[in-house]
Amino acid sequence: MKSKRFEVLAARPVNQDGYVQEWPEVGLIAMNSPFDPKPSIKIENGVITELDGKTRAEFDMLDTFIADHAIRLENAEKAMAMDSLEIARMIVDINVSRKEVLDITLSLTPAKLTEVVGKLTIVEIMMGMTKMRARMMPANQCHVTNVRDNPVQIAADAAEAAVRGFAEMETTVAVARYAPFNAMALFVGAQTGRPGIMTQCALEEATELMLGMRGFTTYAETISVYGTEPVFMDGDDTPYSKAFLASCYASRGLKMRFTSGTGSEVQMGYAEGKSMLYLEARCLAVTKGAGVQGTQNGSVSCIGVPAGVPGGIRAVAAENLIAMLLDLESTTSNDQTFTHSDLRRVARTVPQLFSGTDYICSGYSATPNYDNMFAGSNWDAEDYDDWTIIQRDMKIDGGLQPVREEDVLKARNKAARALQGMFRELGLPEITDAEVEAATYANGSNDMPQRNVNEDLKAIEDMMARKVTGVDFVKALDRAGFPDVAHNVYNMLRQKVAGDYLHTASIFDKDFHVLSAVNVPNEYHGPMTGYQISEERWNELKNIPNAIRPEDI
Amino acid sequence: MDQELLMKQIVEQVMAAMKTGTSAPAAPAACCGDKVTAANYPLAESMADKIKTPTGKDFTSLSYEKVINGELTADDMRIAPETLEMQAQVAESVHREAFAGNLRRAAELIAVPDERLLEIYNALRPYRSTKEELLEIANELDGKYGAKTAATLVREAAEVYEKRGRLKKF
Repeated sequence: MKSKRFEVLAARPVNQDGYVQEWPEVGLIAMNSPFDPKPSIKIENGVITELDGKTRAEFDMLDTFIADHAIRLENAEKAMAMDSLEIARMIVDINVSRKEVLDITLSLTPAKLTEVVGKLTIVEIMMGMTKMRARMMPANQCHVTNVRDNPVQIAADAAEAAVRGFAEMETTVAVARYAPFNAMALFVGAQTGRPGIMTQCALEEATELMLGMRGFTTYAETISVYGTEPVFMDGDDTPYSKAFLASCYASRGLKMRFTSGTGSEVQMGYAEGKSMLYLEARCLAVTKGAGVQGTQNGSVSCIGVPAGVPGGIRAVAAENLIAMLLDLESTTSNDQTFTHSDLRRVARTVPQLFSGTDYICSGYSATPNYDNMFAGSNWDAEDYDDWTIIQRDMKIDGGLQPVREEDVLKARNKAARALQGMFRELGLPEITDAEVEAATYANGSNDMPQRNVNEDLKAIEDMMARKVTGVDFVKALDRAGFPDVAHNVYNMLRQKVAGDYLHTASIFDKDFHVLSAVNVPNEYHGPMTGYQISEERWNELKNIPNAIRPEDI
Repeated sequence: MDQELLMKQIVEQVMAAMKTGTSAPAAPAACCGDKVTAANYPLAESMADKIKTPTGKDFTSLSYEKVINGELTADDMRIAPETLEMQAQVAESVHREAFAGNLRRAAELIAVPDERLLEIYNALRPYRSTKEELLEIANELDGKYGAKTAATLVREAAEVYEKRGRLKKF
């Protein structure tokens, strides 16, 4: 006889997910692998000659880069000699400041950082995040894509996402040649919804930089680094090429961060028998050494790997904390779909959402799951009300606020019309009134009329050959009768001249006032310190349209 | 570190020259003796009058109207080396030395044209260049653009790529 109870359980979504036993030899272990190196450092004449059990002669490319660039040498031997448990306790001790912790952790090796966070429970990791994230107030990022690369829909979805509260937006492509349209639609849509939102387009590294140089985007994020040398080579880069690329971005006034995450090495077959968290700590050291202001990490697109092993989701939170312990802007993933279970996907996000990070999701899908070109997201447009109600339940600020349908429709319509006008003025293929109408009311690309793809791609090629830049968007929007949107695009371009937003964890408010870890640093040191939700903000967060008001009864 | 110091001195001289309108005075102007810090941030609000475009225009003179009438072009909407140096000093004032180093390396690369910058990045990817080619790039960065820290990074890469077998294979 079979148990009816077990039959019911077997049919539950959580049992459609894949799980695997730990297998340290191939790196299928979240943290604390028996093959992880023991922390060590030796400094001779200002040069690191031993790192985590390897002598300089045994260094691979990553060890060399980390030893030469990533570790603050003064105090390094002293910090490395400290008991890891003592450092772990300092992280959760409200009487030890963020700066005092950084003075130690910026001098630690990857193996030591891994050992330190390995002493923390998930709740202690969350306490660490609350104290150690760089910017005072948390924020959120979204994905804006669709399966047909429909630019009108991108503009409308971006405008809606802006009204809902995202500080950053990322698009990518189904068809690579569509990239310039996606980037400009996102730019215009975001600036229509709320001035000051930063936008990016995830592409092959050199193409992504080129779009930034042209003023189609204002920052970049998909600059991947990996924890072992063979995987780095498979990713077609080195720590040196990536460090150079980082400077290329800053030289054009463009903000950028690196991307890495647990599980990528084992997924690509070269984990060298190390734990996922140790390899991620190496990635973060490379990021720090390259002089980049921040990272997108938290397994990101490899989330299925750590999610399959014991303690994997704790390790994902731990890797976010390591980024913060290196004083990096922490953009904490919560993006790719990894589970069939609604309970699991919420639990996966609790550490970052409840603690607050610089960007809780990277990103939250501003479209239905089927339109997300980053292989789906853990949070989709369908979950908007769940997110805002969880914020209301817990009195937390996850970066979004409840909205009214009429405000959203107004923003979507205006963004679609602004893009329509800009396309017309730039001599690009027509956006019809029917498309504007459809984009205003659409949920996803199934609700959109199809565009002539060949005509679009030809126009894109021609536009890029004509060397159209962000400045041309400003002029076109002005001519099209959208001077307010044009002003916002101009103001974003103008920020590149000053470079304030290059700094750690920067965002802009609606008046283009930069808020970063420089002028609004996180100074949490216990209850009633750090970010406190203001009364005004709490009113925004709690006032969901579907709550019964006493005066209506 | 010596190179960084040298860079700083050069930038300070340039800034002093911009302020006084003469070329490289012997003594730096009073405004530039002090370091820029987090207290001056955001520079767009607190030090707008000290920021210029790489085309020599005042940040405060940039306007929407000038974009519309064509007086300003995409070349004006870029960051200048002196501004990146000021931002590097802000970063140092909040103990972000590695980030400040990146901003200084970036300041050197402003002079390198977009196309060439993309080519150099691609040349630094694994198996793309011989050691000689990388050293030539380093010399170009150093000699043609005065990009000393960027050149050092490329020379370092050439050594490490050789040791790890990541140079171009024939």
